[in-house]
Amino acid sequence: MPERSLLTDEVRAAIGRATDPIRVRLTPRVVARTMDVYLGHHEDVPAEGAEAPGFAIAGLETESGSLELMDLMPNTLLISNEWTFERPLIVGEEFEARTVLADISERFGGQFGYSLTVRTEVTFTDTTGAIAARGARTMMQYDAAGSRASEEAT
Amino acid sequence: MISIAALREGDELPPLELRPGLGQVIRFCALNWNFPEAFYDPEAARAQGMPGTIVPGPLKLGLIYTAIERWLDGGGWIRQVRAAHRRPDLTARPIVITGRVARVYEEHGRSRADLEIVVINEKGEPSVRGFAVVESR
Repeated sequence: MPERSLLTDEVRAAIGRATDPIRVRLTPRVVARTMDVYLGHHEDVPAEGAEAPGFAIAGLETESGSLELMDLMPNTLLISNEWTFERPLIVGEEFEARTVLADISERFGGQFGYSLTVRTEVTFTDTTGAIAARGARTMMQYDAAGSRASEEAT
Repeated sequence: MISIAALREGDELPPLELRPGLGQVIRFCALNWNFPEAFYDPEAARAQGMPGTIVPGPLKLGLIYTAIERWLDGGGWIRQVRAAHRRPDLTARPIVITGRVARVYEEHGRSRADLEIVVINEKGEPSVRGFAVVESR
């Protein structure tokens, strides 16, 4: 366990840092690939202009760029992730994707010892300027050597 | 087809048993173009303290999404889905996605329901605690 907080002013200052906006498109190919992942097939891929399965957002997330996050601890663990939709996504739509470092917090003690929790969020804004969907991921950085529960790690 | 307005608190989603295999995990890795060894190499997984290769957490979020969508059967759409990962699930081992209706309400003239979701491993332990919001069309 570190002798003092790793959540320095420099680290806190990174909260709010964002990627440059990236234009992404929900093509039938992207939808088909996500269908392969989640359904095991890509039969009956919706045509351009039709409603896409919401899980197709996973194919947009991977095209959305990523923040270079500071590795302050040796091990990383996914704590949670989520998708939020303001409306169904449409095959063929273009979005502006932007990923932001939403929060960093720390915890002393507990089964993982000292740990840092890092939340990133990606927003998908449509061509009218409205947010259509969001993705978020919360990762924990920790030191497995100081953990009492490495068997709990995902 | 589910009618969200007709749901009642405590209604249960039918349990859905899945067995995410190595092929599905590799397709997920390919989609993300990210290949952590613990997802496909048993020795690398064991070196990280796992008994075998594990199912990526983000893949499980999508599996929860598909389970809810299957239950809705066109009677609504999913506004939000969240997954809190509690313990790893091993590749090719059975998991069961379960859920119950926690709340039914109206918002902006639409019927909505909050769902509590649990993914259970073959030992009967919860590996994921989830939450979702579904809305009528």
